[in-house]
Amino acid sequence: MIEVRNLTKTYNIEGQVITAVDNVTLDVSEGEFVSIVGHSGSGKTTLLSLLGGLTRPDSGTVVMDGVNLWDIDDNRLSEFRNKKINFIFQFASLIPTLTVKENVCLPSVFGQYNAGVDEYAVRLLEMVGLSDKINSYPSQLSGGQQRRVAIARAFINTPKVILADEPTGDLDEETEKEIISIFNRMNADDKVTFIIVTHNTELAGQAKRQLRMSNGVLKEV
Amino acid sequence: MKNLRRRFVRTVLLVLGVVVVSGTLFSATIVMQSIQNSLRIGTYRLGADVLVVPEKYEASARNALLAGEPTSFYMKKDALDKVRAVDGVKNVSAQVFIQPASFSCCYSANVFIVGFDPRTDFTIKPWLEESIKTIPEGNEIVTGREIPVKVGDYIPFYGTEFKVVGTLEGTGMKFFDNTVFMPLETAYRMAEQSRKKARQVLNISSDDISAVLVQVKSDITPDRVAIRIEHDIPGVKAIVSDQVISTVRQQMFVLLRSIFLIVGVAWIMALLMIAVVFSMIVNERQREIGLMRAMGAKKSGIFRLIMSEAILLSGLGGILGVTVGGILVYSFKNLLIASLKMPYLWPSSFKIAVLVLGCIVLSIITGAIAALYPAYSVSKMEPYDAIRKGE
Ligand SMILES: Nc1ncnc2c1ncn2[C@@H]1O[C@H](COP(=O)(O)OP(=O)(O)OP(=O)(O)O)[C@@H](O)[C@H]1O
Ligand SMILES: [Mg+2]
Repeated sequence: MIEVRNLTKTYNIEGQVITAVDNVTLDVSEGEFVSIVGHSGSGKTTLLSLLGGLTRPDSGTVVMDGVNLWDIDDNRLSEFRNKKINFIFQFASLIPTLTVKENVCLPSVFGQYNAGVDEYAVRLLEMVGLSDKINSYPSQLSGGQQRRVAIARAFINTPKVILADEPTGDLDEETEKEIISIFNRMNADDKVTFIIVTHNTELAGQAKRQLRMSNGVLKEV
Repeated sequence: MKNLRRRFVRTVLLVLGVVVVSGTLFSATIVMQSIQNSLRIGTYRLGADVLVVPEKYEASARNALLAGEPTSFYMKKDALDKVRAVDGVKNVSAQVFIQPASFSCCYSANVFIVGFDPRTDFTIKPWLEESIKTIPEGNEIVTGREIPVKVGDYIPFYGTEFKVVGTLEGTGMKFFDNTVFMPLETAYRMAEQSRKKARQVLNISSDDISAVLVQVKSDITPDRVAIRIEHDIPGVKAIVSDQVISTVRQQMFVLLRSIFLIVGVAWIMALLMIAVVFSMIVNERQREIGLMRAMGAKKSGIFRLIMSEAILLSGLGGILGVTVGGILVYSFKNLLIASLKMPYLWPSSFKIAVLVLGCIVLSIITGAIAALYPAYSVSKMEPYDAIRKGE
């Protein structure tokens, strides 16, 4: 499903070269549930961005579903992201001027799948326990509620891969458990591949495969 | 599009900038067009190449022509034959200008009486024949557009009642629009009878005329004929109608130049302002844009999104500007005419429509040009970069 070969990404900050991702090689098969832990600044977010085609690596390749992400042009890469991948970001990632439902439906605006999206969005919002906030705006929601909206949005395009960066960051324990069970269900039923960055030991621990990142280097645990 | 709502003040400022530019441009152009339009029709109506008037009254004659300020001045009728005798003159016709004491019924503004000679006239007659198909005789008159009477009405001047037999279409020149046309003979008779009938006596005799209208032969320029007339006949001034227009054109050109300079500067400022505001908006929205890219928005989609916002805003500004400018020009039209001392006639509705569209299109193009760089630079950013920079 995902084949990563010798992936390296460096940043040049005021003459200082930082190797955020250092020669990472990784194979993830379809329907796997992978967790990545690591210290702050170890390069986890950068790795997820590389996997999702949000930033170009200095060297190495990412092949997903048989497609080398950096071999295709930007339009096709965008389409690929739109159809196959979805993200849950570390930070608040809702568009403030759109309602909760509009936010959840946003990926569909960029693709060509409009039929049934509204109903699906409502179902996803019910799943994350926000059916009463469908027409609210993000500013009217708590941080945890916003995060749950972002989680609902991650499933709207029925992606094959979900790249999640601290998805349970600001959720209480109970909601966290619900989210984990949603992830598990999606993983089991729909064979969605999960790659989740987390500090949460419970979430990390129940992943079948656990990786650790330190100073840009990825290791199996 | 929903992003506009949030940055309300900035959006309003931006739209206002466009409003100012398109408004000034629109009003300035339409005023210029109106003046030119009127001049064109007016001089066509004047129909004479040269206007011979008493030397001392040159300025008031010009004023009468351009601003329609009523005036009366007289010279002896023999001037007519003298002018006719000048080399290069093809046709001559006398006119007498009379300033009515008062317009007894209801009208207080400037009214002007022109007596023309139906036997020799070559300027007013063709117009009358073309538009109302009658030539006034006896106590009949024809009135300009601005005189509030209709065909069949009777109005008195200097104790004589006149019957309105026709009203003329507007030219924008008060010299025509505020004028009562009557045959020369009728005017003299009116003057004579004013001694008996009127409270105020009109002191002219049938030996007095105000101006001699001249048509020159086709093989000579009006300027040359004018010089000859002034040379041959002492005490007269020959006004070349082309020159009247070219003087006005020149004055207008100076005015026009400063207006377009101002508009040009305002345009550049608006362009810069829109560019700055859009880079600010785009900067603040980098994360949103990065997010949209992550969710599958294409570069072209982002570019289009921002451009359409710019076009929407500047289009709105353009429409508002044209509306505001139009309303201002329309409501201050009279003030404008008074201060410019120029004839004024709205251009045809087709021309106005073209102008309206032109101004709106120009506004939209301005907005589009200004937003081009911000839209381009943000759309080509890497999604991850955009997301991080937006933090
Ligand atoms: N766009 C960038 N420009 C410059 N340096 C960057 C950029 N993105 C990441 N870095 C640097 O790369 C390193 C890895 O960053 P990254 O965000 O991947 O860490 P992380 O593991 O996600 O940390 P956290 O757990 O705090 O989110 C950091 O030292 C960071 O400063
Ligand atoms: Mg991170």
